[in-house]
Amino acid sequence: MSTLAPLVLPPKPRGRWKPWLGLAVVLLITAVTLSPQWGIAFSFEAIVKNWQNGADKVLALLQPDWSFFPRTIPPLVETLQMAVIATFVGAVVSLPLSLWAARLTNPNRYTRGLLKTVLNAVRSIPDLLYASVLVAMVGVGALPGIIALVLFNVGIIVKMVSESIEVNDAGPLEAGRAAGGTQLQINRAIALTDAWPAFVNQTLYVLELNVRASTVLGLVGAGGLGLLIDAVRTFYRYDQLSLIILEILVVVVVIDTVSASIRKRLV
Amino acid sequence: MTTLTPTPPGTRARPALVLPAKPSSWRRLTATIVVTVIVIVAFWSVDITWARLGSLPGEIVRYLWLMFAAPNWDKIGEALLQTWRSVEMAWVGTVIGLVISLPLSFLAARGFAPAPARGVLRLLFSVIRAVPEIIIAIAILSVTGLTPLTGALALAVNSVGTLGKWGYEAIEGVDPGPIEAVRAAGGSTPEVIRWGVWPQAMPDFVSFWLYRFEINVRASSILGLIGVGGIGDMLTSYTQYREWSTVGMLLLVVVVVTMSIDAVSGALRRRITEGASVRELDR
Amino acid sequence: MTDLHDSAAAWVHPPAAAPWSIRMRDVSVRYPNGVVALKNVSLDIEAGEMVSVVGLSGSGKSSLIRTINGLVPISSGTLEVGGRHLETARGRELRQLRGEIGMIFQGFNLARRASVLNNVLVGRLAHTPTWRTLLGLYRADDKQIAYEALNSVGILAKAYDRASTLSGGQQQRVAIARALAQQPKLVLADEPVASLDPPTAHGVMRDLRRINQDLGITVLTNLHLLDLARTYGTRLIGLRAGEVVYDGPAATASDAVFETIYGRSIQHEDVLG
Repeated sequence: MSTLAPLVLPPKPRGRWKPWLGLAVVLLITAVTLSPQWGIAFSFEAIVKNWQNGADKVLALLQPDWSFFPRTIPPLVETLQMAVIATFVGAVVSLPLSLWAARLTNPNRYTRGLLKTVLNAVRSIPDLLYASVLVAMVGVGALPGIIALVLFNVGIIVKMVSESIEVNDAGPLEAGRAAGGTQLQINRAIALTDAWPAFVNQTLYVLELNVRASTVLGLVGAGGLGLLIDAVRTFYRYDQLSLIILEILVVVVVIDTVSASIRKRLV
Repeated sequence: MTTLTPTPPGTRARPALVLPAKPSSWRRLTATIVVTVIVIVAFWSVDITWARLGSLPGEIVRYLWLMFAAPNWDKIGEALLQTWRSVEMAWVGTVIGLVISLPLSFLAARGFAPAPARGVLRLLFSVIRAVPEIIIAIAILSVTGLTPLTGALALAVNSVGTLGKWGYEAIEGVDPGPIEAVRAAGGSTPEVIRWGVWPQAMPDFVSFWLYRFEINVRASSILGLIGVGGIGDMLTSYTQYREWSTVGMLLLVVVVVTMSIDAVSGALRRRITEGASVRELDR
Repeated sequence: MTDLHDSAAAWVHPPAAAPWSIRMRDVSVRYPNGVVALKNVSLDIEAGEMVSVVGLSGSGKSSLIRTINGLVPISSGTLEVGGRHLETARGRELRQLRGEIGMIFQGFNLARRASVLNNVLVGRLAHTPTWRTLLGLYRADDKQIAYEALNSVGILAKAYDRASTLSGGQQQRVAIARALAQQPKLVLADEPVASLDPPTAHGVMRDLRRINQDLGITVLTNLHLLDLARTYGTRLIGLRAGEVVYDGPAATASDAVFETIYGRSIQHEDVLG
């Protein structure tokens, strides 16, 4: 009884090398990207060299120039105007497109696929790139900024809302079909009411994103606080930049808080 | 059983129904009014000459034609090189971000560090998240110079904000059972993290890193706008030269590269969070 | 167990002008995944009949009822509903046919966040121009029909409540009101009481019987419980593996009949009690 028979271990599962292979690949890519030859040449020397002339400017970030405050108000207001208008237009455009992009509300695979492909492409270009191209097209001001934000918003809202429609119960829609409704009628009478909370939720979320994004669109001439950021950075007025960053922080936090409290009440 | 009162078809003589009172919807009404007022004020007060809007669609179509009717592929070599620069920035930014955020998210999670440290870290994460990466890049470029490194560092800082937050939320969301088991077996905090938390939270973390990499790929292309290099830099230049056919080509490159990276990263994320497919487990 | 509305409310819908009959000839249903749900089913259901369709899950009874309003397309055979060919109906014609056929589902299938009234108005979709639906401007006549339908199932008082706030039995009544608002010539019910507790189930079955007896509408109900099928149907159709294995009077169908249909002995879960 007490003689221990050698334990028969089951064979070790294969595939345990996979995480290690993943790690090796990540390290290899990181080494390449950091190398001076192919990569971005990470070097502490450059930083040390720049430190001498740059440090005092960075330190200026800690001393906001409060006297600059009045001049920041009009661009700040324009930033908020752009965010609100873009959110509104984006939401209005997105609502029908969301129903178009979801399988339950648009059974036609081809039109759905077409819309999704277009939106994937639209989503892969960041808002600031849109803005910089649009400024060259329609001129400096809030308008190109708003158009850039709308493109950005439609991409997000339609994706999120159509995904939330997909997980909704198909039964009520079937009832509408059984009662002889057209797809459009069913979407309006049944799918829309069930998708509404997701839609409002995403719209508020996009408003938060827009407030954040619209503060920098001016860097390429698309209106708002960014115009001012571009001006102060040209003269390395980091004390003024510091004030602008503080204002962005306050506005973003306020909008996020309000939006979050509304979203929480939404059921 | 009810007695029927069949109404002869065609007559309208029906017993009056007692309808319930319509519920008052003052909350919805107030919300509608508030939203309407805000939107109207924004439209009315913004500095845009709305009269121009009429010609706008035509203009945009004209420019789209200029850009995409015959994209100029002469500069494709340089475009791909600059795209690689941008992707590098995104990669390095993500790696630095995850290396810094990983320990910080444990310190910010309940049960691993004193409450004040937790509060400070969480505040730091939310402050970082509120500031767009391009502003972070502007703030640090006087020290780091107009190089891709600046871009990578700005992305790293911003990544710490999001990865830190997602990280501590994931850690707090794990099942406490295995943690208690390790503690009960006399495990130290590092052992708790390694054997109690990490096996549960690892898929979430890896998927956060990949997702943040996707975000950084987009963000890296816009950092070029302030001159740190990459595809955004090249795009701004050609936009300013108004070489529309080259701009069209550059936009196509951005779309294709971003969508491909999203597709690969998205597939990896699904693989990690849902586990290997059944077919593969059979083998 | 008496229901309030049984004694309080009166049926104010005019009896169906002419209830519809159903004529199926060699109907087969094969799903895209290869599953054959119905095999050469031939049936004649006369106008004004109250029919229970019985079978185990997977016997094809749900497919049978869904072919009758075209929710499940038939692969071969002919199907006439109210004298019109359903197998060839497409688009507008199919929607008009469906508009005359009320349907009640096991899961009620109400838009959860919409009001009870708006759910019942779904029954008017086939008779409402699309622009009215889009703007949410229903005709006063349609609203009146919806109110009366709600009144006849005894929940008019809940008209403005959100559908999801109602109990299961109340939700199924809303679904019945939705079907009634179609002013149907035929009502199909797919396991209408499978999600309800016994007293509520009997209430809903009584509602269906009244639709048949008082309004003269043809009613076809899927059931898996033999006592309900016996009590509330006048005719019983048994399905097994996609084929009709019994067709006869419901009241006199013996346990042996059910054992043939189910292909096994009767168990206690086959009875509601």
